[in-house]
Amino acid sequence: MSESPNAGVTSRPYSAPIAQSDRPHPANLADILERVLDKGIIIAGDIRVNLLDIELLTIRIRLLVVSVDKALEMGIDWWRNDPMLSTTAQGLVEENRELRERLEELEEGSGSSSKDGSSG
Amino acid sequence: MADRGQYLFAVARGLDPQRLEGVAGLRKAEIQVLEHRGLQAVTCGVDLDEFGEEALRRNLESLPWLEEVARAHDDVVQATALGATTAPMRLVTICSDEASVRARLDEWYDGLQTALDRVEGCHEWSVKAFAALAPESGDEPTSRATSGAAYLARKRAQADERRAAADDAARVADVVHEELGAHTRATRRLAPQDPRLAGYPGTMILNGAYLVHDDDQDAFRSAAEDLARRYPDAGIDVRGPWPPYSFATLDRE
Repeated sequence: MSESPNAGVTSRPYSAPIAQSDRPHPANLADILERVLDKGIIIAGDIRVNLLDIELLTIRIRLLVVSVDKALEMGIDWWRNDPMLSTTAQGLVEENRELRERLEELEEGSGSSSKDGSSG
Repeated sequence: MADRGQYLFAVARGLDPQRLEGVAGLRKAEIQVLEHRGLQAVTCGVDLDEFGEEALRRNLESLPWLEEVARAHDDVVQATALGATTAPMRLVTICSDEASVRARLDEWYDGLQTALDRVEGCHEWSVKAFAALAPESGDEPTSRATSGAAYLARKRAQADERRAAADDAARVADVVHEELGAHTRATRRLAPQDPRLAGYPGTMILNGAYLVHDDDQDAFRSAAEDLARRYPDAGIDVRGPWPPYSFATLDRE
């Protein structure tokens, strides 16, 4: 047997670049959490912990593993107010900034009231 | 002395326990293989100070703790699946003692045998595909629109491009999934992963799980390679063989 069952015991980085895609193990955390938390056989043991009661798992991890559209379906949208997580919010901030700049340019009269922009 | 529990990683059939030698359980505990009516429970002892109900509610809120335990769980399941037909358990399946593990195997005996029948000789493969990154054009200051109307037209054109790209991506995902399916026993399309945890750039358009018999592995892999050649922009990412996490399931009927 050439496979070493110990190969996976060493710690792995959170994420693997696509170039490492021939690794047999799920190298990235999303793959692992998706499998061990959402898949696999559910047999109630003597220690009862409802994974759905765990805030980290239901909200943060779920948001990270599940698509944003799916999270919206589930009624989860708190990240909209969380600038660390919200790319949508960052997009809007960026667009607002652009629009404000554009407005200032127009108000300064540099673009004046001309409607036929000479597009390049 | 703290109370101990018995952590259940997987139920297997045809496992040579020696294959798990040198594989560490949780917190370096020794792996134990309990034989019961032709099934094998892969377990290890855990401290209920850390894995009891109260402690788990607290610990599962910590991403570093969760990652460590999830990876250790996966390592044991992987090592088991290398040499045996394996049904992985959900994370933190914990019984009070060995007798309780055996009682669970009795209770779920038929379902576990059916699940193991379904995945016998097979492993799970993961294939992901991504939407091609849209070229960023027209956002440079030099090409700035000179009127509000031109600005809005440009925004509209960009939105149209994005919609068309999304339609193309969905079609590619369907083709990849369907062609790979020809070499499988079963398939599942999982929800796309978010790039912040998955560590992939771009939008995931396909997160497919494929149950592939080991005899069909070569055909499956060459089909994936062929798709990768035909759709070079989709960044097709193939991983496996994994334990059949997505396919060894209990049907309550």
